[in-house]
Amino acid sequence: MRASVDVVIVGSGAGGAVVAREMARAGLSVLALEEGGYYTPEEYGKLSPSQSFRRIAREAGLNVAVGLGDTPLISALAGKAVGGSSLLTGGVIFRVPEEILHHWSTELGLGDLTPDALDPFFSEVEETVHAEIVPDAMRSRSTELFVEGAVKMGIEMKSLRRNTNGCRGASRCTFGCPNRAKMSVDISFWPDAWENGAQIWADALVEKIDVRGGRAWGVRGRFLDQETGEPRVPFEVAAKLVVVAAGALHSPLLLKKSGLDGPHVGRHMTLHPSFRVCAIFDEQVDGWDGAMQSVYSDAMMDEGITFVSAYNPANVLAAAFPGVGPPHLKLIERVPNVAVFGGMVHDDGGGQVRRWLSREPLLLYRMNPRDRARLFLGIQTLGKMAFAAGATHVLLPIFGSEPFKSEGELDFLTSNPPSAKRVESLSFHPLGSAKMATSEKRGVVKPSGETWMVDNLFVADGSVLPTSIGVNSQLPIMTMALKIARGILDDWSRIARRAA
Amino acid sequence: MDVPKLLTRDFRRTTLRPRHRRMVAAISEALFSRDGEPLDAAMLDEFVTDIDGFLSAASKPLRAGLMLMLEALRWLPVVVVRRFAAFEDLPIVTRTSMLERMDRSRFSPFPLMIVAFKTMLALAYFEDEGRLRAIGYPGEERKRYLLRGAA
Repeated sequence: MRASVDVVIVGSGAGGAVVAREMARAGLSVLALEEGGYYTPEEYGKLSPSQSFRRIAREAGLNVAVGLGDTPLISALAGKAVGGSSLLTGGVIFRVPEEILHHWSTELGLGDLTPDALDPFFSEVEETVHAEIVPDAMRSRSTELFVEGAVKMGIEMKSLRRNTNGCRGASRCTFGCPNRAKMSVDISFWPDAWENGAQIWADALVEKIDVRGGRAWGVRGRFLDQETGEPRVPFEVAAKLVVVAAGALHSPLLLKKSGLDGPHVGRHMTLHPSFRVCAIFDEQVDGWDGAMQSVYSDAMMDEGITFVSAYNPANVLAAAFPGVGPPHLKLIERVPNVAVFGGMVHDDGGGQVRRWLSREPLLLYRMNPRDRARLFLGIQTLGKMAFAAGATHVLLPIFGSEPFKSEGELDFLTSNPPSAKRVESLSFHPLGSAKMATSEKRGVVKPSGETWMVDNLFVADGSVLPTSIGVNSQLPIMTMALKIARGILDDWSRIARRAA
Repeated sequence: MDVPKLLTRDFRRTTLRPRHRRMVAAISEALFSRDGEPLDAAMLDEFVTDIDGFLSAASKPLRAGLMLMLEALRWLPVVVVRRFAAFEDLPIVTRTSMLERMDRSRFSPFPLMIVAFKTMLALAYFEDEGRLRAIGYPGEERKRYLLRGAA
């Protein structure tokens, strides 16, 4: 199968959708290629968590970053469907913190990434995705309890913003919103792109970018077999411009497969290693009733820790509880009395994306001692919050640990911490694996988003972010993609001339 | 939750061979049995089929890694509980005891093997509406959002 378009986009998630809309609005012919399937909001909204994992998450939700040295095994969740990971986010909306933008625009020399320069892009995306503050009334009792504990400890909690419209507090955003209320890009960006003529091929695996004479000419790949899921029927797409927006795990992999393997491709990946602490209360919490995420705290941002409320469906909590056999089953019976809170570490780029035996990458991650200390401090602080709120037991994300019954029992986390290999950690924000830089010696793409290696090849997703940002990455990815897309359109005559 | 089967498609591939199916069933009993009582055989068979569909969505290397873990678990009773028997041939309480020891082990591959299977199996096992209601989960009913307008 062959096609010829102005712009071919690899990936249909937070980066690809934004670029597709912009290009289509400008009257260019646009084709996006998505490895995952297409599910309507009504379809994915009816999937149970395990069905959601197996159909719209990479590796059935079992993807991990292998820890090197004293590093946790980090579960890395990423989407694989039309809409990408935006279908699986909690919907949390943060701008990149100003101190991070200051670092990018001064020390890294990326002068276009100041708060003032990015403000109109942030604002435009916020409007499109309907960013709104979560009303206090939507806080679950689980969240209220952690807020009570935080207040007693002098830690300020703030209401956060999400991209929702008509949230009914189902508390399962990360498995696909059942009420069509989360404004993931399949709802917020793609309809506009489709209306303007953009097309998507789903189940279309891009295997290689065509590069000749120092410029990108298109892509080639194969459609996935409906029975086996293996690549079968080949396709080729010729294009004046190739935009890679396959996310921080797969964009560098595609560059490598295409022979574009520079020293920074697939390096410097940050993960925002996350952790959750569960707490058991005497009162009935019913934490599933309310917004899954509604408050956050930046009180420990200087120490590299951000706290964000989070709840999970009951069966997901059951899977996360410590223990095996009868003790585990006893804890599961307490689910209605359980509150949950989470946090993440603003980490160094210790991750790598490597090619190996399959079309999925091998993810490696080495946590440095500073980030390890942050991880344990964050877990300890959440545990203390829970006890301050009146929890009778605290369940830490440490393999084989018993429920903790008093605040004093948590001291070991900072005085004599266990091996980080025993910590259960998660990542929802892989970033920076094809980072933007002012020279080829320091990164993969130019400030415009175009690769340093090849003309007419752009990257527009979380992989271009120059460093970890310490907050949820959905809005920053969309904003960066919008800025890159506008730059492409400003420069289109030159891009088209090179393609002639 | 009333979830239609195959509302959207799964790839029709299978990963578990008969010996793997026996192992997944044996681990499930060790994790979810109460007082060492065996789980209902028909239910367990259907559950193992569901797990096969779950992990068959993953890539070949990941599936191969999980199968390797199953093979290792099968013969680890010799090391962990000093029993010269395959895991699935042990009494349920002994299987549970073995998994508990591995969960608490300082040898990091052991707890990782446990968490890999416990997470996947518990996620699917406690998705059953009856089991969820038994632990007090009311289903999709929500009340808080109704207060939003009043706030």
